[in-house]
Amino acid sequence: MRAGPSQDEIRRQNLGALLRYVHVHGATTRAELTSRLGLNRSTIGALTADLANAGLVSEGTPKETGRAGRPSLVVRPESARVYAYAYSIEVDRLRAARIGLGGELLDRRDLDRPPGLLVDEVVPLLAAAVTEMQQAVPAGSIRVGTGAAVCGMARRDDGLVRLSPHTGWSDESLAERLGGAELGAGGPVVTGSVADLSALAEHVRGVAAGCDNVIYLYGDAGIGAGIIAGGRRITGHGGHGGEVGHMVVNPGGRPCSCGSRGCWETEVGELALLRAAGRAGLSGQAAVLAVVDPAARGDASAQAAVRQVGDWLGFGVANLVNIFNPELVVFGGTMRDLYLAAAAQVRSRLNSNALAACREHVRLRTPALGDDGALLGAAELAFERLLADPLDVA
Amino acid sequence: MSATPLLELRGIDKSFGPVQVLRDVALSAHAGEVTALVGDNGAGKSTLVKCISGIYTTDAGEFLFEGRPVTINSPRDAAGLGIEVVYQDLALCDNLDIVQNMFLGREKRSGLVLDEPTMEQMAAETLAGLSVRTVKSLRQHVSSLSGGQRQTVAIAKAVLWNSRLVILDEPTAALGVAQTAQVLELVRRLADNGLAVVLISHNMNDVFAVSDRIAALYLGQMVAQVKTTDITHAQVVELITAGRSGNLGLTPDPAPADGTGAQPAEAQNPGADR
Repeated sequence: MRAGPSQDEIRRQNLGALLRYVHVHGATTRAELTSRLGLNRSTIGALTADLANAGLVSEGTPKETGRAGRPSLVVRPESARVYAYAYSIEVDRLRAARIGLGGELLDRRDLDRPPGLLVDEVVPLLAAAVTEMQQAVPAGSIRVGTGAAVCGMARRDDGLVRLSPHTGWSDESLAERLGGAELGAGGPVVTGSVADLSALAEHVRGVAAGCDNVIYLYGDAGIGAGIIAGGRRITGHGGHGGEVGHMVVNPGGRPCSCGSRGCWETEVGELALLRAAGRAGLSGQAAVLAVVDPAARGDASAQAAVRQVGDWLGFGVANLVNIFNPELVVFGGTMRDLYLAAAAQVRSRLNSNALAACREHVRLRTPALGDDGALLGAAELAFERLLADPLDVA
Repeated sequence: MSATPLLELRGIDKSFGPVQVLRDVALSAHAGEVTALVGDNGAGKSTLVKCISGIYTTDAGEFLFEGRPVTINSPRDAAGLGIEVVYQDLALCDNLDIVQNMFLGREKRSGLVLDEPTMEQMAAETLAGLSVRTVKSLRQHVSSLSGGQRQTVAIAKAVLWNSRLVILDEPTAALGVAQTAQVLELVRRLADNGLAVVLISHNMNDVFAVSDRIAALYLGQMVAQVKTTDITHAQVVELITAGRSGNLGLTPDPAPADGTGAQPAEAQNPGADR
């Protein structure tokens, strides 16, 4: 029989809970922390003092409360001093950012990624960006970790990129490579897919805050989903889950880059949109806008293409809504532009194909964090270790 | 969401001389929801909005605000309830900057002079509260802004006054794709922040992208008000063009009092709408 949690465990738990609260909600008064965390006032005072000593939070007097009585001290995350590095390796760009506790973007570098760039070529580019950003870091800052979002399937345990058809990578040990350079100083590099980490960021501080059942559809060359069910990320046994772009919706359809036929992304991806509109030679957001823009101006063939792809998008969303019964579906990446241009088709398909009980409360939204979701989500992963045991990391 | 609508209209009639423009119109707008008001040209959408905003008086019918009966006889009454309208032509002054436009006619004073710092701060807070990042300086003239930015300023102006209900008349009509997307996200954010929003639009994608309910006007009658989760594009187009769709809308065999309008238009085929 296991004994109850020790004093140390309880304290660690409480420190983590307090730090997580100000990390997610920003500056909070001690009085509010007392009621939100359900802890005693003196406990909050002691925990705050410990975290302040470690340099993770600071306390100050509020500006004006407009109320009588001694104002409660405000606890703020030390966003400028406690930071993580976040990388996002996408089909057509590389991004690196230094992100402070509380989700504040302190510094960033955005680079184009020529198609087909291999891991060995990507790592030095990111390393250069980090070296540059590192020069501006104030003395006495605390680096708590590194997170990386990658467009592909990254294994949870070691960041082994298994299959990333759109980058041309397979079986590349990304986390190890990143950790080897100075990129990964300050602990192991944690990885996840762009869709999964965008979902995480929107769940913590974006459009999905407060929602426990969310599907985030991210479109680039293909389509992936970040799925949150019951408040937890669903990434599967090896961390490869959420590959909704490869659910087969049209068995007689076109061959997919994964080797199968009629996958969802062959009907709703950017190539499908270009093909339906009779265009070619573009990729990414430019490809989607090259069809959506003329459609909005009245071009009939572009409108037909948007309607057709919107229809297929609606079929897939209806399937996902039936399986997961989410309260929120978020359309990010190129899916944002496609959804806004084809919302009538998407919603109509959803309304006629999904079960009434599953669809009646589902809200369809675009991301609140825009394209920064992947970076912020990667940083969330990196902060996870700090939030689990604040005094050990700091 | 909330059981009592923020604003509810019942039995609204409005005539201009012999022409009856609105007949027994009912409409409800809920806090936290976008209600899309759709209808063909001349269906009465703009007239209805002008009745709500106090520009026109109604001939009959009642207004309920949070369940209480109220009278709206002038734009001042509407503003007093927290109802703001953003019109198609925006009504912004090109030669004034963003802050001056947002406070035009309702400037804050400190003593005899204008309280510029307070106004600037309130404008900045409002734009920040709407997550607007596209505007560089609050002191730039409106003439230097793009169409989407102007629309953003006009919407922020409507939100500034602790409004409860914001009515938007075709906010995306003159915008390109990227700006339309930004304005739609802004409209959605207004409602997600707890306001009631009424959106007038001809663009079915805009309507389906952001609305929670769709209210369809057909020849001055409100033929249906349904949840967006319960209706398809084709049904909305039928309601707009024919006044009914399946068991929604007008009954198949109405007895028109004046012999005009409200004829079930069987032959009409809802064409390829956007």
